[in-house]
Amino acid sequence: MNWPAIFLSLRLATLVCAVLLVVGAPLAYWIAFSRSRWKFLAEAVVALPLVLPPTVLGYYMLVALGPKSPLGRLAESVLSTRLTFSFPGLVIASVLYSLPFAVQPMANAFSSIDPKLLDAAAVLGAPAWRRFRTITLPLAKAGLLTAVVLSFAHTIGEFGVVLMVGGNIPGVTQTISIAIYDEVQALDYAVAARTSALLLIFSFTTLALVYALNRRSSLWWSSARNA
Amino acid sequence: MVVERAERLNVLTAEIRLQLSASFRLDCAFEVPTGFTVLFGPSGSGKTSVLDCIAGIKTPDSGKIAIDGTRLFDSTQSVDLHPEERKLAYVFQSLALFPHLSVAENVAYGLQQETNGGTTERSRKMLAQFGIGQLEARKPVDLSGGERQRVALARSLVTNPRAFLLDEPLAALDRPTRKKIVDDLRDWNAAQNVPILYVTHSVREALALGERVLVMEQGRIIASGAPAELLNPEDWD
Repeated sequence: MNWPAIFLSLRLATLVCAVLLVVGAPLAYWIAFSRSRWKFLAEAVVALPLVLPPTVLGYYMLVALGPKSPLGRLAESVLSTRLTFSFPGLVIASVLYSLPFAVQPMANAFSSIDPKLLDAAAVLGAPAWRRFRTITLPLAKAGLLTAVVLSFAHTIGEFGVVLMVGGNIPGVTQTISIAIYDEVQALDYAVAARTSALLLIFSFTTLALVYALNRRSSLWWSSARNA
Repeated sequence: MVVERAERLNVLTAEIRLQLSASFRLDCAFEVPTGFTVLFGPSGSGKTSVLDCIAGIKTPDSGKIAIDGTRLFDSTQSVDLHPEERKLAYVFQSLALFPHLSVAENVAYGLQQETNGGTTERSRKMLAQFGIGQLEARKPVDLSGGERQRVALARSLVTNPRAFLLDEPLAALDRPTRKKIVDDLRDWNAAQNVPILYVTHSVREALALGERVLVMEQGRIIASGAPAELLNPEDWD
């Protein structure tokens, strides 16, 4: 088993989830509640990674993060680090690639909250931040958890984008799925089988967890509404 | 003129103009003194939108809303207080109890901005006054219809509001439960003496509740006065 690749994937997925919660939650909130006529454009941009081939997204990321790009030059001058073929570059690429898996469940969870609850909280004297903290977040809890679980699992399993942006540097950018590819290329089927089985079990457990969470959440909402 | 009376104490005054759709315009002016005033009209006449404008949930295109000498909204002075700054109570038709909070937490929700202590005691007293003290640990989903109405009323009234808005909150209840809750509300208001604007489309409810009635139709107030003078159950029900 390629433990360095497994640990690198876990570290990458954890960081990506944290960034997606911070960046994705406000975006999801805006998508759920905004009345802007341009909202559909933001929704389309967020959903792009679902339909774009990973190589296409990876290519654009490679160009956007490359040493000659404004972002690449900024990272070199300010942080003294390259974004391509490095761990920070993997994080940025993975955040974009997993964006719809975080934003869509969160936006769905936010929009399923009865707006009258937020109106009631406002009339009771709660300012916007308190309404978000005490009403919106707890009621969207299942959606947030689904977003975290899906993003984590999606990042663990990604292949094309990380290969394009990060290459295959053991201990630096080699993730678990790239390690499996390497093992198959080296005809080391026994190790590839063990690593693949690990990913299979992980993916199944993740999806079972998501469906269980969604079922619990929808049962809770329907009983609350029918009461 | 309604606006000139805006500074009178314990009177809610409203002058509201709002284009709600291409074919429906809210255009009304009225005042609500202390005690029960029923806002009566058929479904779709704009009653809930009037309450939403007073509470600050909807913003009128123009007009003025004031209570106890405080202007809540004044389009000529660009005054538009947020709902959380208006210090009103509003019981929605759906009640809008927070489903993830217990009865005690629901009732105490409006007190958490206060810093002068004694909030738990006030919350407990209000629960006891509405006869729901024994339910404080329950979630709204575990309550009967009448119990949920009481929690919604207690949650709104514990904040000592300057005016009280009710949007058909008792429509789904049987008559004895409704009468008991209204009696509780009257007891509460005997001490507080604030304007209560009660929306209904039921003539019987309007006749039973109101000391005054405002009759609304197509976004306008078409009559006001004593319920018995204006409403006839045979004509309306």
